[in-house]
Amino acid sequence: MTQDPHTMNRRQLIRHTAWFGAAVGLAVAGGEVISHVAGSASAEHAQSRPTLRFAQVSDSHIGFTGGANPDVTKTFDHAIDQINNLGYTPDFVIHTGDLTHLSSPDQFDQVKQMLSGLRTPHVFTVPGEHDSVDDAGQKYRSAFGAGTRGDGWYSFDIAGVHVIALVNTLNLKKLGHLGIDQLEFVKKDVAGLSSDTPIIVFSHIPLFAMYPDWGWGTDDATQALSQLSRFSSVTCLNGHVHQLFSKTEGNVTFYSGTTTAYPLPHPGDGPAPKPVTLPAGKLGDALGIREVSYTKGQTALALKEQRLL
Amino acid sequence: MKLKEFLLRLGLAASLAVSGASHAYLYVHGYQHIPTIGTAFLIQASVAFALAVLILAGGPWWLEWAAAATAGGSLVAFVLSRTVGLFGFTERGWDPSPHAAITVIAEVLCVLLWAGALFGSRRAQVSKIIVPEPLGVYER
Repeated sequence: MTQDPHTMNRRQLIRHTAWFGAAVGLAVAGGEVISHVAGSASAEHAQSRPTLRFAQVSDSHIGFTGGANPDVTKTFDHAIDQINNLGYTPDFVIHTGDLTHLSSPDQFDQVKQMLSGLRTPHVFTVPGEHDSVDDAGQKYRSAFGAGTRGDGWYSFDIAGVHVIALVNTLNLKKLGHLGIDQLEFVKKDVAGLSSDTPIIVFSHIPLFAMYPDWGWGTDDATQALSQLSRFSSVTCLNGHVHQLFSKTEGNVTFYSGTTTAYPLPHPGDGPAPKPVTLPAGKLGDALGIREVSYTKGQTALALKEQRLL
Repeated sequence: MKLKEFLLRLGLAASLAVSGASHAYLYVHGYQHIPTIGTAFLIQASVAFALAVLILAGGPWWLEWAAAATAGGSLVAFVLSRTVGLFGFTERGWDPSPHAAITVIAEVLCVLLWAGALFGSRRAQVSKIIVPEPLGVYER
């Protein structure tokens, strides 16, 4: 009987298995070492806890009725509960727009009341285009505009971080659009800051061109971002697209957040961004909240996405 | 022959180590926080380092295939991240500089070395085939 030259004898099999085992073992050990280095690099900067911790929630669309989510109030309530049970008190919570679905006074009342249930010292908001469907954001500003400038934009400093909240949803023909007044505000707002100040920018519509054909971009965002090019750490957080997405361009990192209401299709998937009805039991996977932390000395913010439980 | 094989192993190991080091550096300096991409960078770096060590230690032929798959996979991921996106993550051009360019050069070199070695060994095998003369041919 002759042996097939392509078959492996017992000794060869043992030898190959040993090499494979060594490859797996070395890879695991290497992964441990790299994780440890990354962990100690973070720990060097973190004393007891991150300098700043906050949560992002977006696109609650209170007042929406449809098959994609028969009860948006319930899912938004879950999101609020989830934030209240993070195990720590976030320094603030940001809602990145489309608080309501149709900007009616009772929808604004309802969402404001729900947001007051968040256990955090501050709740910040920016308007979405659904919050300004018929009055260029007047009802939104009556409910949430205290302390803001212009048509609802503002900035503040917290734990050494400069936060800018922009409004790019008021021009319904040019979604998204910031406008000259707001660009001037950004320019003056950051003029006195040192370049090592971490910058966080909130807006409803992405400040990068995610899919402009669907209004998933801001036509004059590059002018605003050019004012931020000298800063070493710039993070832009937005809603509007109802899905997670991230992108880096030079010193700027963009993170689109998901929704608490209903999913939208992926960019270009279909003729228009209409609510997607998922199979029963799958909706929670598409909805969620986001935890964000910043540790002094690090350039990148740490993000943790949580799907709605 | 021995020297040629040693140089091939050295080239593969060096290019993998450079690719792994680049991914590990980016992981430690911020990419660890990017969902899915961070984990992918950690896995790429650890696998690349492991393969580099074992190839240099004289491991079997399939390690070279694994090296090419790792480098090729990273290149595909690089292209996806600059075009349609990868796990919802996109980057532009050669950012982060210079790591993106260094990594791509190392990975292309790795794939080319593997392809060259494969092509070379197949040619050598073909040239080694001896066609036996039919019995009795010399007696005629």
